[in-house]
Amino acid sequence: MSSVTFIGEHLFWGNLGHSAVVISFISSILATISYFFAERNPLDKSWGNIAKYSFHLHSLAVITIIGTLFKIIYSHYFEYHYAWQHSSRDLPVHFMISCFWEGQEGSFLLWIFWQMVIGQILLRTSKSWLNPVMAVLMLSQIALTSMLLGVKILSYKMGSSPFELLRNVMVDAPIFKQADYLSKVKDGNGLNPLLQNYWMVIHPPTLFFGFATTIVPFAYAIAALWRRDYKEWLKPALPWALISVMVLGAGIIMGGFWAYESLSFGGYWAWDPVENASLVPWLILIAGVHVMILHKASGNSYIVAVVLILATFLLVLYATFLTRSGILGNSSVHSFTDLGMSGQLLVFLLFFVFLAIGMMIWRWKEMPRSAKDEEIYTREFWMFIGSLIMVISSFQITLTTSIPVFNKVFGANMAPPADVIGHYNKWQMPMAILIGVLTAVAQLLKYKKNKPEAVKKIGIFAAISLVLTVVLFFAFELRNYVYIGLLFAGVFGIVANFITLLPFLSGKIKLAGASVAHIGFGVLLLGVLVSSANKQVISLNTTGEALNPEFDNKENVENIFLERGKPNRMGDYIITYVRDSMHWVNTYYQVNYKKINAQGEVDYEFNLYPNGQINPKFGLVANPDTKHYMSHDVFTYVSSVPSQKSGAKFVNEKTHEVKPGDTIYTNNGYAILQGINSNTDASQVDVKNFQVLLGAELKVYTLDKVYDAMPMYGVQNNSATSYEALVDEAKLKFNFKGVNPENKTITITTAEKDTSGDFVIMKAIIFPWINLVWAGTIIMIIGFLLSIIKRISDLTTA
Amino acid sequence: MKKSSIIGLIVIALAIGAIISMYGDASTYEGFEMARNNPGKEYHVVGVLNREKEKYYNPQENPNFFSFYLTDEWGNESKVVYKNPEPADFDRSEKIVIVGSMEGDHFEANKILLKCPSKYTDDQVKTAENNS
Repeated sequence: MSSVTFIGEHLFWGNLGHSAVVISFISSILATISYFFAERNPLDKSWGNIAKYSFHLHSLAVITIIGTLFKIIYSHYFEYHYAWQHSSRDLPVHFMISCFWEGQEGSFLLWIFWQMVIGQILLRTSKSWLNPVMAVLMLSQIALTSMLLGVKILSYKMGSSPFELLRNVMVDAPIFKQADYLSKVKDGNGLNPLLQNYWMVIHPPTLFFGFATTIVPFAYAIAALWRRDYKEWLKPALPWALISVMVLGAGIIMGGFWAYESLSFGGYWAWDPVENASLVPWLILIAGVHVMILHKASGNSYIVAVVLILATFLLVLYATFLTRSGILGNSSVHSFTDLGMSGQLLVFLLFFVFLAIGMMIWRWKEMPRSAKDEEIYTREFWMFIGSLIMVISSFQITLTTSIPVFNKVFGANMAPPADVIGHYNKWQMPMAILIGVLTAVAQLLKYKKNKPEAVKKIGIFAAISLVLTVVLFFAFELRNYVYIGLLFAGVFGIVANFITLLPFLSGKIKLAGASVAHIGFGVLLLGVLVSSANKQVISLNTTGEALNPEFDNKENVENIFLERGKPNRMGDYIITYVRDSMHWVNTYYQVNYKKINAQGEVDYEFNLYPNGQINPKFGLVANPDTKHYMSHDVFTYVSSVPSQKSGAKFVNEKTHEVKPGDTIYTNNGYAILQGINSNTDASQVDVKNFQVLLGAELKVYTLDKVYDAMPMYGVQNNSATSYEALVDEAKLKFNFKGVNPENKTITITTAEKDTSGDFVIMKAIIFPWINLVWAGTIIMIIGFLLSIIKRISDLTTA
Repeated sequence: MKKSSIIGLIVIALAIGAIISMYGDASTYEGFEMARNNPGKEYHVVGVLNREKEKYYNPQENPNFFSFYLTDEWGNESKVVYKNPEPADFDRSEKIVIVGSMEGDHFEANKILLKCPSKYTDDQVKTAENNS
C-alpha cells in the first residue's frame, strides 16, 4: 500500500482528529488520577490544579474531535470511511448533524460531549464535592473515549476511530490500488432514510444528554460512600437526578413521537428492545428519586436509594451494551451493527458494576438504617411501595428484553414472545394501575403522621374519581370493562393531585412540581388507554371483491388497494388516491379523504401525503402522514407501491361521431358535447394563422366531479391539425379528429389512461385522543422542571 | 411478621412470576418439522427464500395476501402465507425470520423479519467497485 501515493486526500483533518482522540483519552486518564489524589490529599492543591487543566485540555480535545468530524462530513471527504458510510453529497446541513449518530462512533462522541459539558458545569457548581465526583465522571470519560481510539494494543483493536480512511477499512478492494481512487468515489453511502427526519436531529442529542446526566447522581453516590458522608450528597445530587429524569423522559417520548410520525409500525411504542433499554433506567431513576426524597423526609430506606441511583447508571451501560454489541441481532429495528467492540463494552459495564458493588460492600455496615418498621398511614410508606412497583416493572421489562443475552450465556434457544406487546402489557398494565392509584394515595397523605381523617379523604376522592371514571368510560366509548381499572387509576391520579395542587396555585407554584408531574402521568395513562383501546384500523378491505379463496378471516386484512382516481369507501371516509409527486428523493402520494356523515353527505375533506423513498440500499422506506384533530388522528402510510409505473399509456381508444347535445360514454365517465366553438382563442395553440379553428366544448362527468374539456381542430392550407384535451383526474383524453359536413357531426376520439400499474396499497388507522399522550408527557416534564427549580433553590437557601 | 418481610415476600413472588411468564411466553427458534407436529403453536422459523418456486403477490386481486416458499435451516420447505403486502426489500433478503404457526398445508406468518445484506459489509466493496 505504502508504495502508492494517493491523490487528493485530505490527510491533515484525519490526523488532527485522531490526535485529538488520543489527547482526550490520555487527558481523561490524567484528570481521573489527579482528581483521585486531590481527594486523597486535600491539603495539596497541586493535584486539583493538574486535574483542572487536564480536564480543560480534555474538553478542548473533545470539541476538536467533533469539529473535525463535522468538517469531514460537511466537505464530503469520502476518503474517510465515516463520511463515506454515513453521508452523501445531497444531504442538507441539518441532516449532516444526524450523520453523527447514525454510526456508533458518532453517538459515543455525542455522549462524550455531553459528559464533558456536564463536567464543566460541575467544575463550577459542585464545590466541596468536586474532586470525588469529577474523579468518577472522568473515569467514565476514559471508558468512552477509549471506544474511539481505534488502535491496536497487543493484537486487540481497542475502539473504532471515526477518522479511519476508507482504503484502510476495505483493504482488499481493487480500487484502492489506484493512486487516483478518490476521483472515482463520487458519493457516499448516504444517511438511512429513517434518520432523515427533523425528530432525528433532536431526539438523539436529547436522549444522550439524558443518558450522560445519569453519571452525576451515580458519581455523588459513589463519592458519598468514599467519604462516608451519608447525608450531604443528597441535596446536590437530587436536582441532577431530576434533570436526568426530565431530559431522559423528554428524549424517550421524542423517540416515540418520531416513531409515530415517521415510522410505519403504526404507534409510538412497540416494546422494542432499544426502547425498553432506555425506558428501564428512566423508571429506576424515578424510583430512586422518590426514595431519595422519602429518605430526606423520614430518614428511612437509605440503602435502597443508593442502590437505585447506582443501578440507573449501570442500566444505562447495560442498555449501551445491548444496543451496540450486536447481541440483539434480529430482535430490534434500531440496534447498531457490531463493530467488534462487544468485549470492550462488556469490560466497561462490568468495571462499573464491580465498582458500585465493591463500594457498597466496603461501606455496608456503616450505611444508615432505619430501626423501626414504616407506618402504613404515611406518605413515605406508599412512596416506597410505588418505587418498588417501578422496580418490579423494570425487572420484568429487563428480563424479557434480555432473552438474547440468556441465549448467549446459557446457550438457550429462546425467541422473544410471539405476541410481544401482549406479553409486556399483561405485566405493565397492572403495574401502571397500581402506580396511578399510588400517586393519588401517597399525595393525599402527609409524611410521618396522619390523622384518621386522611383515610376518609382518600375514600371520598376515590369515590368521586369512580363516578368520573364511569362517565368517561361511556364518553370515550371504551366498551370493554377491563379498561375500567386503568381509567380509574388515571382519573384518581389526576383528581387527587389536582386537589393537592390547589393550595400552590396562589404564588407557590414552584412547590407543585410533584403534583403537576403526577397529573401528567394520569393524563398520559388516559391517553395511552384510549388511543390504544379504541385504535381503529379503517383501511380494512371492504370491497369484498376478488378475494383469494384461501383467505377467509378478517383479522389481518388491514391494507387497502387504491387505484389512482378511483374513490373507495373506507370506514366513514371516501378516499381517493389522487396523484404522486417527487420531492427531493421522496415520492409523495396524495390521498384525498372525504368524511361522510350519517346522511351520506360530505362533512369535510382533507388531503394526506404519505411518502415513500425508494432507496437503492433500503428498499421502500415509507413515512406516514397524519391529520391531527383535537380528538383523534387519522394516520396513513403506504405499505406497497407498484414496482414499475406504467407511465402515461392510453388504451381503449374509440371513435365517436357526435353533434351538439350528444353524449359520449367511456369507462371512466361520460361527456356531453355542449357546442362547437368557432371563435376559439388561437393563442392556446402553437400555430397562429389557421383558416378555421374549431373547439369542441365538452362537459365531462365522472362519479363525483364535472370537468370542462375542449379538444381543437384547425385547418390551414388543406392540412388539418388536431389538438387533444387531457382530463388528467378523470384519466380521459379527447381528440377532435374531423368535421363531417354532410350529417353535421364532428369526430371525437376518446382514450382512457392505463391505470393498471398506477395504485398504492395503504393502511390507515384512527388514533382517538392520542393528543392526551403528548399532553400528559408535556405536563409531566413541566412538573419535573418545577421540581428541579425548587431543588436548585434549596441548594442556595440552605 | 414484620411488614417489610411481607413486602419482601411479595416482591420475590412477583419476580419469580415474571421469570415464569418470560419462559412461558417466549417462543423458540424451530424448523417447519416442529411447526407441523404442533399446528397452531407459534414459532420463530429462520430460513432462506426458495427463489425457484413461485412468490405470489397480486395487489389488484388482494393486497393482503402474499405467499412464498421458505427453506428452513434443516432443509425443510414450506409454503408461507403472510396476510399483508409483500415487505419492501423482500427479494434482497439473505435470511428471513418468520413468526407464526402451521395452519393446514402452509405456515401462516404474522410477522416477517428480513435480514438484508448489511450496507456495512457486502455493499461496501460493491459500491466502491461500481464506482471504479
